[in-house]
Amino acid sequence: MLKVKNLSKAFKSGDIVVHAVDDVSFEVGDGAFASIVGASGSGKTTLLSLLGALDKPTSGTIEVAGQDITALSDHDLIKYRARSIGFVFQSYNLIPNLSAIDNVMLSMEFAGTPKSDRKTRAEELLNKVGLTDDKQLRKPGRLSGGEQQRVAIARALANKPKLILADEPTGNLDSETGKLIFDLLHYLAKKENTTIIVVTHDLSIAGKTDRQFKLFDGKLHK
Amino acid sequence: MSAVNRGIRNAFRNQVRTLSIVLILGLSIGLALVMLIAHQAVGQKINQVKANVGNTISISPAGFNPLSSANNALTTDQLAKVKNINHITSLTETLTDRLTTTGSAQPSFGGENANSNAQTSLTSPIKLNASDGGGRFFVSGGGSSLPTNFSPPITILGTNSPTQLNSSIGNPVTIISGKIIDGSKDTNDAMISNAMADKNGLKAGSTFTAYGQTLEVAAIYGISENGTQAGNDTVIVSLPALQRLSGQGNVVSSATATVDSADNLASATTAIKNDLGSNADVQSAQDEANNTVQPLKNVQSISLISLIGALIAAAIIVFLTMVMIVRERRREIGILKAIGASNMKVMFQFMSEALTLTILAAVIGLIIGVVGGNPVTNTLVTNSTSSSSPSTSTTSGGGLASRFASGGSGAATFSRPTGGLINRTGGSVRNTVRNIHANIGWSILAYGLGAALLVAIIGSAAASWLISKVRPAEVMRAE
Repeated sequence: MLKVKNLSKAFKSGDIVVHAVDDVSFEVGDGAFASIVGASGSGKTTLLSLLGALDKPTSGTIEVAGQDITALSDHDLIKYRARSIGFVFQSYNLIPNLSAIDNVMLSMEFAGTPKSDRKTRAEELLNKVGLTDDKQLRKPGRLSGGEQQRVAIARALANKPKLILADEPTGNLDSETGKLIFDLLHYLAKKENTTIIVVTHDLSIAGKTDRQFKLFDGKLHK
Repeated sequence: MSAVNRGIRNAFRNQVRTLSIVLILGLSIGLALVMLIAHQAVGQKINQVKANVGNTISISPAGFNPLSSANNALTTDQLAKVKNINHITSLTETLTDRLTTTGSAQPSFGGENANSNAQTSLTSPIKLNASDGGGRFFVSGGGSSLPTNFSPPITILGTNSPTQLNSSIGNPVTIISGKIIDGSKDTNDAMISNAMADKNGLKAGSTFTAYGQTLEVAAIYGISENGTQAGNDTVIVSLPALQRLSGQGNVVSSATATVDSADNLASATTAIKNDLGSNADVQSAQDEANNTVQPLKNVQSISLISLIGALIAAAIIVFLTMVMIVRERRREIGILKAIGASNMKVMFQFMSEALTLTILAAVIGLIIGVVGGNPVTNTLVTNSTSSSSPSTSTTSGGGLASRFASGGSGAATFSRPTGGLINRTGGSVRNTVRNIHANIGWSILAYGLGAALLVAIIGSAAASWLISKVRPAEVMRAE
C-alpha cells in the first residue's frame, strides 16, 4: 500500500517560491496500476522524484508498506531505493558500457543480492520481457529503443520492489512498441503483485490503468 | 561485476582519450621517476665522495695553475716543518715532470719549446684523436693538426710514498708484477702502468732510458677500470730520484698531509697555513670534497624540485581528467544513485578508473625512468660540474693524461709550468664525482607505483567530492 499525505515540494526561483507539488494526498493499493497525467511543468516528475526517494519533500509523508520514507536517514534511503523501488525512465537510462544482463545485475549488486543468484535472476527477467539470449549480451547501443526499455523494465523488477515508478515509459517509442511495453508493464504488475505508478501525458495509455490521477499546477485531481 | 571491474572497464570507454591521458600522465610520472633516480644517485655519490675523502690536507704552491708556465714551487725544507705539526701522521710529497719520446716531433706548445734533456725511450700508450676535425688541440704555429710522428708527452712522477698513489695518479692502482719502489731512496728504479709496459714491450726487470740515464722497471701497476686513462702515461720513481734526474734539487710540486682524526683536520689545516704562509695553498680534503660535491648538491636540489613539480603535474592531470569525466557522466552517476548505489560505491568505481589510468601511465613512466634515469643523471651531473669547474689546481683534475684522454674540454694545452711542476691532486675526486651511475632497483619500482597510487588518490579525491554532490534526482532532470 502506498499512502501519500499532504505532500508538498516548494523551490525558490529568485524571489518567487514555486510550489511544484502542492498538498498532494492519495492512496494506491498493492499490485495496482495507476497513472498520473499532467501537462508539461505540472509537477509530475517532481512528484515521481519524491515517491522514489530521489528528492526530499518540503512537507508531508509518503508511506510505502507502512514505512514513512520521508523520515528515513540518507543511508536508509539508499537501501530503500535499492530494495523497494524500481525505476523506468523515458530515455531508458541504461549504463552504456554494460551489457543488457550486466545492467540488470547491477541493481541486484546494489541491493546486496548474492553474486551467484544475480545471473540466474537477470536471465529469467530478460527472458520474461522478451529479450533473446544473444541480445542479453549486447550493450544498450546495439539494442532498439523498445529492447532497451525492456531491459530497463527487467532492471526495475530485479529486486522485487514494492513500487515501480515509470516516467513516460513509452515517450520515446513508436505507438506499436509503446503499446507492447505498456502491456508488458501491466502484465508484470499483476503477476509480481507490484504497485506501478506511471507518469504520462498519453491519455490513451492512462485510460487503461486501474486508477488515474491528474496533476495541474502541482495539485492532484482524482 | 564489482565497482573495481566497472572502473577498469570505464577507463577504456574512450580509447583515444585514454591513450592521450595515459601518455601525458606517463611522461609526468616518467619525469618524476627520472628525477627520483637522479636525486638518489647523486645523494649516494655525495655520501660516497665524503666517505672516501678521508682525513687528508692537500698542499700546493700558492696560486698554482696547471695551464700557466709561471708557477711557484715548494721545497722539502718548507714541508719538513709540516711533518712536525701535531696530529699529522704522514706527509706524501710529489714532484712531476714531463718526458718527451726520443725522436718524436714536438710542436711548440703555448710558445714554449720542449725541454731537450727530458727525453725518454718510452712511447706513451695514450691514443690521440686529433684528426676528427673538431679542432680540439690548439698548437701555436701549427694550425689545428699535429705532426705525423708526434707522440704525446709522458708524465714522470716522483713520490716519497709510492704506496699511496691514488690521489697522485688520479685513479686507483694495484701492483700487477714486480716490487714496489722505496720512495725515500735515490735509485733508478721505476714503476710503469701495464698499458705503458705493453706499448713498449717491457716487463719487471726491463730497462728504459730517461734524462739520458737507464732506469729499471721495478714494478708494473694496473689501473682500475673507471673509464679514464689517467695514470696510464705515468712513470713513477722515488722523489729524491726525480729531483736528481730533473735537476730540481729539493723542489716539491705538491704534498698531501694525513691527519690522525677528522676532529683534528681543521686545526691541522690552520697550523699548516700558518707555517707555510703565502707560499702555499692549503685545503683540507673535507673542504675539497665540499667544493667538489657542490655541483652535485645543486643537481640534487634541481632534481628534488623537478620531482615534486612532476608529481604535482601528474596529480593535476588526474584531477582535471576525473573532473571532466565526472561532469560528463553526471547523469550516469544519477542513474547509479537512483537504482541504489551509495556515494562510496560510485566514488570507489571512479577511483578505480583513475587508478587504472594512473597504473597504465606508471608502466610508461617506469619505462621512461629505467631508460632515461642514467642518461639524464649523467647529463645533469656533467653539465653542473662543467659549468662550475673551480679555477684552483687542486680540483682541476687529471693532469695532462686525463685531458688527453677526455679529448680536452676547450683549448687543451701542453704548456709546461716552470720547474716542470704539474699538480694532479684532486683528479681522482673529480673523476669520482663525474663517474656516476644510478642503480635502478626494486625500490625505484616501488616508489614509482607508490607515486602513481598517491597521484591517483590525490587526483581523484576532488572528483570524488564532486560525485558525492551529484543528487540522484539528476537522473530525472535529464529526462
